[in-house]
Amino acid sequence: MSGIDVAPLREEQTIELPPKPTPTFRRVATLIAVALVAWSIWKLDARWERLLDAPSDLWTIATLMFGRMEAAKFFDLLGAMWESIAIAWLGTIIAAVFAVPLSFFAAENLVGKAPAVFVQQVFNLLRAIPEIILAVAFIPLFGLTPMAGVLAIGIGSIGTLGKLFFEIIEGVEKGPIEAADAVGASRLQRLRWGVMPQVLPEMTSFLLYRFEINIRASAVLGVIGAGGIGSDISQALLFKDWGTAGLGLIIVVVGTITVDTISGAVRRRIVSGAPRIVQADLDDPTKFETRMDDIGGV
Amino acid sequence: MSLTDQASTAPTLPRKPGISRFAIGVAIAAAALTIITARAVDFSLGEIIENFTRKNSVIEGLFNPDWGQIWSRRSRGPFIETLQLAILGTVTGATLALPLALWSTDFGNPNRLLRTIVRTFNSIIRSIPDLLWASIFVASVGIGALSGLLALFFFSIAVTTKLTADTLDGIDRGPIEAAHASGASLTQMLRTAVVPQILPSYTSFVLYNFELNLRASAVIGIVGAGGIGQRIEFFRGRGDWEALWGLVVMFFLVVFVVERISVTLRRRLV
Amino acid sequence: MIRFSNANVTYPNGVSAMKNLDLEIGDGEFVVIVGLSGAGKSTLIRAVNGLVPLTSGELNVNGHQVHDLNRSGMRELRSDVGMIFQGFNLVDRTTVLKNVLMGRLHKVPTWRTLVGKYPQADIDIAARALARVEIIEKTYTRASDLSGGQRQRVGIARALAQEPSIILADEPVASLDPPTSHVVMRYLQQISRELGITTIVNLHFLDLATAYADRIIGLRDGVLVFDGPGSDCDENVFESIYGRSLTADDTMAKQAAL
Repeated sequence: MSGIDVAPLREEQTIELPPKPTPTFRRVATLIAVALVAWSIWKLDARWERLLDAPSDLWTIATLMFGRMEAAKFFDLLGAMWESIAIAWLGTIIAAVFAVPLSFFAAENLVGKAPAVFVQQVFNLLRAIPEIILAVAFIPLFGLTPMAGVLAIGIGSIGTLGKLFFEIIEGVEKGPIEAADAVGASRLQRLRWGVMPQVLPEMTSFLLYRFEINIRASAVLGVIGAGGIGSDISQALLFKDWGTAGLGLIIVVVGTITVDTISGAVRRRIVSGAPRIVQADLDDPTKFETRMDDIGGV
Repeated sequence: MSLTDQASTAPTLPRKPGISRFAIGVAIAAAALTIITARAVDFSLGEIIENFTRKNSVIEGLFNPDWGQIWSRRSRGPFIETLQLAILGTVTGATLALPLALWSTDFGNPNRLLRTIVRTFNSIIRSIPDLLWASIFVASVGIGALSGLLALFFFSIAVTTKLTADTLDGIDRGPIEAAHASGASLTQMLRTAVVPQILPSYTSFVLYNFELNLRASAVIGIVGAGGIGQRIEFFRGRGDWEALWGLVVMFFLVVFVVERISVTLRRRLV
Repeated sequence: MIRFSNANVTYPNGVSAMKNLDLEIGDGEFVVIVGLSGAGKSTLIRAVNGLVPLTSGELNVNGHQVHDLNRSGMRELRSDVGMIFQGFNLVDRTTVLKNVLMGRLHKVPTWRTLVGKYPQADIDIAARALARVEIIEKTYTRASDLSGGQRQRVGIARALAQEPSIILADEPVASLDPPTSHVVMRYLQQISRELGITTIVNLHFLDLATAYADRIIGLRDGVLVFDGPGSDCDENVFESIYGRSLTADDTMAKQAAL
């Protein structure tokens, strides 16, 4: 039985809310953001009058690109897409070759704070450089060849992969490492038995993730001549060969989505093991709000 | 009875759980792919080392950059333009990304067909890289900042929608049920039960999007969509590596500073 | 008034959670539903505001034929029926006030919801609701900063803010400790009496049921097996509802002593 008395509410009482707190940080931040946007709109020399024409211009180009595709170009473009995929893959692997050992040097739980922070900043620096700038630098060295693209992507990805990798390493559980220590393992053995098993699946997953992103980067490197389908598309646009450009675009989209899907499936399988049977299908058309415990644990 | 007595009748151990067959398959596929692709691009380690160590003006220019280039009379305007494009591209794209992401969820869009259409649309948008958007818009609406803005608009939608949609997949559905139970409309439910849950993450994504757009806006000028990209292309054509590196290095120092600020802000949010 | 007529609910996986239910609950009654997990308590409660549709039969709630309602009719019904959840279902990141104002959504035009400017009249209603559960000092506190009992009080305030004629409570105290559970049940009881709100509560602690219910309904395997005043309920009655002998888990006092 309850011994708790709850005070009844009299209807004629006037209810007053407590004072409202002022969100200063949020207000200042919003003000700055709005000011920046206003300044940008005001000062950007974008020939805004063209904006109204844009939809019809786009529509015209779209009909040209997709209405005039020629089957003859299909295999050439497919080969170019394959070259882009190859560039992306090789670049990612090269990046991993450097990033894996370097990432161990960036992990504070392995090498200590000072050297780790230094390597982390090197990663940050590499991350900041867009691949195309690297490609701009490498083309004079390697010529208008895919190698320039491979190295641009390779060196550009060391930064992100390195960062993702060392974050994984820092997140490993201490248990297996301590256990290895306790049985007198050397540093290398500690790595092999304590760290690597935890770390390898996630690293592979991130490597594939980076590969998916690099496909996009390699598709555009061709625009400045570093190989791949980008050069085919940009040349086509330059010479107003709309059909080829449209076909190339479709191939890029389909190719990228395909790689994404395969890579995504492999990633999910690596990180979470064999697929489990899904209990409740959220897309169930009947949309019942079923509760597991109420239907007897089914 | 000691353990050694039992040695002759030792029980058989269970099968040793080795690396799964799937993992081995992946490793083999990866190795094969690497070999095939290396052949396809004529990979040669010797050539790489030789080309890097050869004397050339590109590397020399890198060690002697023209630091003042970015603020020079002709580069100053494109530099400002790059910043403006990044800001506007982010704001427009990220704004549209929120409703688009909501529209791709089961609670935000009960119509299954419509949802699939939105998701397919998002997938397609996401598979076109920034420079390709820029090339297409330059071809349609002409050279200049407008095509850059349109390119970054679509690019931003791609980036932010994906991140937001992924976050929406993991939200607490309880408040959604509560909103439904009180008779709220779909829009009201989304505004009060869903959006508050993801607002910090969403803001963080918008800032991240801005970081990406800064990099993108710097290079879209290479195909004529505005910003310092045009200057980069100009110097490249002339082989003026000192000016090019001066411009690029200074710009990315600015980007670096902005990123540090953005990262701290983002940490404060989530 | 709530009336089930030969109502049935069968889920897509074949489980039948409501079998030929005939039940009438009058205005202002305080009813507690008891039964084992899977007996159909949650199904019954969720049928009242249409969250779970009937497979067959009829359900009339305050004149609405629930089984026939279209989308806007359903929203109209639901705005008149407040609901309280075991998991509270609050938006953790927002303030108590914003959570309670969710109860006013049906009555507030959408544009106001979008910009977050609620009319003063609705804010006043929310304030009254908060005062009634004595949590008004936490108005601008983030929901995640509250204790379990406080959160459920906010849940009650949110339901109250709808100015409903019916309140449904699905295991409202299952996540709370005994003293807090009593406080929450006391609020529900008092609100029902003072404001004449029909209240239906699912409970799995039988001592709480007898302490607060005017009327107890027992369900077993989707079938109504008991319907009578709380005073008629003793251990034997409960054992026949459950179909097994009682354990310490069935009573809050005994479980707390464990």
